[in-house]
Amino acid sequence: MIGQLRSELVKQRSTRTTLLLFLAMVGLVAFAVAMHVLTLSEADLSTRAGQLEVFQVGTRAGLLFAGLAGAIAITAEIRYGTIRPTFLVTPRRGPVIAAKLAVSGLAGIAFGLVAEALMSAAATAGLAARGLDNQLTGGDYLQLLTGGAAAAALWAAAGVGVGALVRNQVGAIVGLCAWMFIIESVTEGFVPDAARFLPGGLGNALAGNTDDLTPAVAALLLILYAAAAATSGWVATLRRDVA
Amino acid sequence: MSADVPAAPHRVDSRSAQLLAPGQPVARDPVTVRSLTKRYGEVVAVDAVTFSLEPGTVTGFLGPNGAGKTTTLRLLLGLAKPTAGQALVFGQHYRQLQRPTERVGAVLESSDFHPSRSGRDHLRTLAVAAELPLDRVERVLEMVELTGAAKRRVSTYSLGMRQRLGLAAALLGDPQLLILDEPANGLDPAGVRWLRTFLQALAGQGRTVLVSSHLLAEVAQTVNRVLIIDRGRLLASGSLDELTSGGRSLEDVYLDLTEGEPQ
Repeated sequence: MIGQLRSELVKQRSTRTTLLLFLAMVGLVAFAVAMHVLTLSEADLSTRAGQLEVFQVGTRAGLLFAGLAGAIAITAEIRYGTIRPTFLVTPRRGPVIAAKLAVSGLAGIAFGLVAEALMSAAATAGLAARGLDNQLTGGDYLQLLTGGAAAAALWAAAGVGVGALVRNQVGAIVGLCAWMFIIESVTEGFVPDAARFLPGGLGNALAGNTDDLTPAVAALLLILYAAAAATSGWVATLRRDVA
Repeated sequence: MSADVPAAPHRVDSRSAQLLAPGQPVARDPVTVRSLTKRYGEVVAVDAVTFSLEPGTVTGFLGPNGAGKTTTLRLLLGLAKPTAGQALVFGQHYRQLQRPTERVGAVLESSDFHPSRSGRDHLRTLAVAAELPLDRVERVLEMVELTGAAKRRVSTYSLGMRQRLGLAAALLGDPQLLILDEPANGLDPAGVRWLRTFLQALAGQGRTVLVSSHLLAEVAQTVNRVLIIDRGRLLASGSLDELTSGGRSLEDVYLDLTEGEPQ
């Protein structure tokens, strides 16, 4: 198992995929922050709840990119065929998936932390620049960072599971993006009571962007989602033939 | 083979009794395939194939495209599960082998690499997972003459270099059995000669080699045993000399058996 973990770390560091994903996330967060802080009305930004809602962009970006990193960790191997030598070295396959879950979870923590930190810093600066009173407490910032990182780690694990199930890289990436940007937002628009129980909504609750659910309940439900996805991907990987 | 079984006059357990049963493939042989069958829906890709390989032989696995060669190799390597029958390496399912890279080396596709990873890093991902010392990476790079290109991204490699990088990966664990699927595909004449010399040197060290191909002239120069498969069925197996006795070329034998239909 130590060997598989070290192998996953070498895989992550020996291509530019993770770095590019990281840069894409940073760019997206910066763009979103600028849009929100510069264009939203003062009324929207005057309350603590309103300000936390703006900070959602950082949380969602961290979640999505962590999920993408997890999905790519497995689908890149299938796409480029390295899954064959990988499984020849580790024919029982389980340790490979376990190592991908662990290393992607770590990457997810980094993605979540950076997205939240960038969002917090930029939004705080933006509020100050517009002369708006910052309503957030130190505790709010702490929850954004820790909750956002934990939620992103769980999204990364779920991403590995989705990638292992879907196998097609484009399909997995489009699916995760569509989930975050279309399914979750449409549900939020029409059935907000259901949206808070979806994985993105739970991530927001865990990071404290919304207070629909307590962080403990949100964490528990998000763990269940991640476990379900990871287990399905694991079982499928062990059962299926490799082309 | 019986000479290789350790003498145990006062203790004959069922396992060694089975090993010595007459007419049965010896279970410790590098490869033992018994009634191996793989169905995909209606299609029977591999149909009750039985053969075994003895240590130190170089066997050509021949057949038209789609004959079932690659599927047989994938079943042997635990990448796919048989519908029926058994495919064993050293008497075990590949998935049950401890430290499989030190028993079996295999190349299934000529380009199983991440294009933006360097050749050396590709080998490192595998060596680290197999818990092999990293100097093995340098050693196999030397063996396939890729040390000078090891830092480059695989996307800059020629097909011949990719074939050699695949071979290097298969050799990481210094295995006794090598399984290669179409290793000569796309090689130029110099590459083909290099591969032939390389495989003969490996066989000269007593390793067992199973190499699938449809380059018959090439195979005839490299192998000493032949398996011919078509439409999932094993049509012939034996030494090259037996099959080509009476002055017939391997091509004649092969085309007669496979009915010579262009695929």
